[in-house]
Amino acid sequence: MRTRKVMVTGAALSAVLLASACGGDDGGDANTGASEPGELEGSVTMWTYPVMADETEHRSFWDDTIAAFGEEYPGVDVTVEIFPWADRDQALTTAIAGNSAPDVVYFIPDQLPGYARNIEPIDPYLDDDAKADYLPNAVEAVTIDGQMVSAPILASAVTLTCNKEVFDAVGETEYPQTWDDLREMAPAFKDAGYYMIAYSGDVSQTLNLTFYPLLWQAGGDVFNEDGTDVTFNSDAGVEALTLLQEMVEGEYVAEDMLTAMPPTEQTQLAQGNVACAWHTEGKNLVEFWGEENTVILPPLTNVEQVAYGTVGSLAMLSSADDKDAAGAWIAFVTDAEQVATYNEASGFLPVKESIGSLYDGDPILGEAEKYTDLTTVGPLHEDAREIMGVLAPEIQAVLIGQKEPRQALDDAAQAAQSVLR
Amino acid sequence: MTRIADTTTSAPAENSNGARPRRNTRPYRALEPGRPARIGRGVLLFLAAIVTLFPFYAMVVLALKPVGPIILPDSLVPWGLSLEAFERVMGARTLLRWTFNTLIYSVVSVVGVLFFSSLAGYAFAKKRFPGKEVMFWSFIAMLMVPYHITIVPVFILISNAGGVNTHWGMILPTLANAQAVFLMRQFIKSLPDELFEAATVDGCSEWRMYVSIVVPLIKPILATLGVFVFLWHWNDFLWPLIVGQSNDMRTLTTGLASMNAENVPLNVVLAGSVVAFVPIFMAYLVGQRYFKEGVTMSGIKG
Amino acid sequence: MSVGTLVSTRRRPSWREARIALLFVLPCLVLFVLFRFGPTLAGGVLAFTDYTIGADTSFVGLENLRRLSEDPLFWRALRTTLTIAVLAVPLSIGISLGMALLVRRAFRGHRLFRSIFFLPVITSLVLAGIVFSWIFSSGGPWSSIMGWLGLPDQAWLSDTTLVIPAIVIVAVWGRFGFGMLILLARLQDVPRELEEAALADGANAWQRFRYIVLPELYPALFFLVVIETTFTFQIFDTVYVMTSGGPANSSYVLVFQLYDQAFRYFDFGYASAIGLALFVMTFIVAMIQRMTIGRER
Repeated sequence: MRTRKVMVTGAALSAVLLASACGGDDGGDANTGASEPGELEGSVTMWTYPVMADETEHRSFWDDTIAAFGEEYPGVDVTVEIFPWADRDQALTTAIAGNSAPDVVYFIPDQLPGYARNIEPIDPYLDDDAKADYLPNAVEAVTIDGQMVSAPILASAVTLTCNKEVFDAVGETEYPQTWDDLREMAPAFKDAGYYMIAYSGDVSQTLNLTFYPLLWQAGGDVFNEDGTDVTFNSDAGVEALTLLQEMVEGEYVAEDMLTAMPPTEQTQLAQGNVACAWHTEGKNLVEFWGEENTVILPPLTNVEQVAYGTVGSLAMLSSADDKDAAGAWIAFVTDAEQVATYNEASGFLPVKESIGSLYDGDPILGEAEKYTDLTTVGPLHEDAREIMGVLAPEIQAVLIGQKEPRQALDDAAQAAQSVLR
Repeated sequence: MTRIADTTTSAPAENSNGARPRRNTRPYRALEPGRPARIGRGVLLFLAAIVTLFPFYAMVVLALKPVGPIILPDSLVPWGLSLEAFERVMGARTLLRWTFNTLIYSVVSVVGVLFFSSLAGYAFAKKRFPGKEVMFWSFIAMLMVPYHITIVPVFILISNAGGVNTHWGMILPTLANAQAVFLMRQFIKSLPDELFEAATVDGCSEWRMYVSIVVPLIKPILATLGVFVFLWHWNDFLWPLIVGQSNDMRTLTTGLASMNAENVPLNVVLAGSVVAFVPIFMAYLVGQRYFKEGVTMSGIKG
Repeated sequence: MSVGTLVSTRRRPSWREARIALLFVLPCLVLFVLFRFGPTLAGGVLAFTDYTIGADTSFVGLENLRRLSEDPLFWRALRTTLTIAVLAVPLSIGISLGMALLVRRAFRGHRLFRSIFFLPVITSLVLAGIVFSWIFSSGGPWSSIMGWLGLPDQAWLSDTTLVIPAIVIVAVWGRFGFGMLILLARLQDVPRELEEAALADGANAWQRFRYIVLPELYPALFFLVVIETTFTFQIFDTVYVMTSGGPANSSYVLVFQLYDQAFRYFDFGYASAIGLALFVMTFIVAMIQRMTIGRER
């Protein structure tokens, strides 16, 4: 299900569903296209997260955008609040429960099903041209029950990044493409005093970036087709975790990030002692390795070749008071031109056809952009994020040699039963 | 919202009202340690002081180093300093906001707790009214109930009242402080009745009597209790973490914890820690006596 | 005014006095009903419901307690919490006692030492957690010291066994100054004449401590045991900052589970059941204290 071909088919299918949904759903609902921008009144609060690492830059981007929006919609008052990534689901759920929820929120796909009942689908608020302009995989990522629930604004492809300096030091000229390559190369790196990989195993790290890519590469998945049960304890799951176990036991993995998350600059990875990693985008390592040493590679292959890539999107919560105003704001922000500016400023990949390639020739983002077709957005399941909470500690138990892979995954699957609703 | 500490069995603490009779005033040299013992004591204390102070030293020195990898032992030497980490942490507008939130949370709570608990403590100590004993002891029983049991219902209450991510929502529940009521009542009870009754006979209104007689008399306990409540709020973590989730409503402790989880460089997080620590440290230097009395009296980690 | 009038006013609780007194108590009473009495009762009731956000609530009887009894994570958290208490309480009180004895007599700088040892008590556990995370990290000072001592130099916070001592060390560092002050206050009351007399009788330092000083300290030590035990039962800040309960749940403590269930999974009913368990634990400690104190008097 994770190959490129299936992906494209899926997207095409959802595009068809989407088209029919639009036809049927537009009826009585308020459509911003009809009302005059100048007449629209209300206030909109949006929560976003540190999508741009530099807070001041991020802030001023939104201040500028709000000003530009204000010229078109003088009656709408917009506030953008930047929340920390950490515990963001908690903050949002708490706010929803406490009736102090924002009107618009930045979501990634695996969050959407969990909040589906709190979200007002964005579909009717976007005009057809805007919808048609979206890349198919972006649309697929935010489509639930045939409707676009949120409006994509950015994408990423988190493939494999390797440190050229380390490869030069070891005298290795080829970069790993498969799991077997990793296994074969690792001893030489170890002998030269380097780690083959870094694995970010802290429980607060999302598994989308760490274990799930391996699981998908082994041909497995987190949930079964209809989402009634977890399947990470399949043979594929065991194979994926066994690879990690082997690498750890061979001392090919930097141990400082194995169960904890030290600040990046303190890690072996940042200090240039690690050959490759797949849990972070290459652009985040440039600062430490230098652009010339940061090599962006295609995702690793075992049974499948696949990596994680996100689609960031803006959704309107159903508790929003001024839905038309919120819809207009989302439509404005996700307009092709705005999106291009935002993507370029934040170093993310575009989600609109008309933008084309933003980073042609760029050794980092230009490379990452090539592999977007090989990415998946992670499990779209209501309990996706809760499941991570029970799975992550069990993976740690294997990494520190306390459990065998099958045992750990079975235990996690057992614990998952109380989470699945 | 008081962490449990049962002081009803009288904490054997340094007392705030009146000095204990000191028996150890007469010098008797033989009880003093000899020279080798003195040297041993000096060495032990010196080592213990180093171990105690090392985390503070590390925090300050690392905060003053250029942002980057920390390599031992070079990173611990007190030269090659730079203000980069401080510039970065102060550059983010949030730190000032967090400091402001912490101040609001601490100061308003201190004023509220002192005011309400002194009113109640005065009534419990010097007034007679039906249901007094039952009421007082049910207040005191709350000392037995750990703060963590009530945190869920209190959160549900505050959340339904729209108090999540507001200052009042954060402060209000912490004003119900059983410890403070108990200590106030004990203190006021120890004051002679005549002081109050003279005023009653003079025809003082109750309110004026509270303001002009009671408040001046309880100044010592106001200071100690105030310092303790302040310290407790300044360092409080779990409740602000739950009720102040937005970036704008974080306090210094929850903000720094989020920074720590956000992959901010260590030097910068430590610079933030220094900013959070300095005010309380300065206050400690000035009012050490009150800190020690406040904390020991209440038996609680601030 | 005569003593007679005073006594007579004292005797008669007038309606006016009662009204004013109630008025004075009222603000506190309202606060307590809303934020202490009510929530305490509600906490007990919630433990028997499936209360969560945005769904209907129903009574589930003993379901949460049954789930608790079958939840391996709960038993693990309970064991971890008790282990921390068993290690931290004696260690902390032992160091408190040692330090109190060392700074007991006046000598040049004794005040400075007392102030230094008290400093961690006023420091936020979050700050302590941040600094100690670095101290215990791989390549940090602690692992360097272990290396010099010829011990394995792994990062303690990444080891399922050593993470507990690491958390205990931080707890003790943050607490011993408190116990020291409590014991110092008590040491002032040790009758000097007795010690002098014992000295004259040829008792050595240990005997003087054992038979004269220590008995004076028993009530204070006992008080400390209770306070420190309750305190360690409620450890949360350092675990949150330093380990998030890891690695592989080996530092997952009860309050952390309560927090996780309540504010990560929003399973308020189950979280309240954990709260109930915590209450029972605290209650048992308090009862032991009551009984023992009662016997001593």
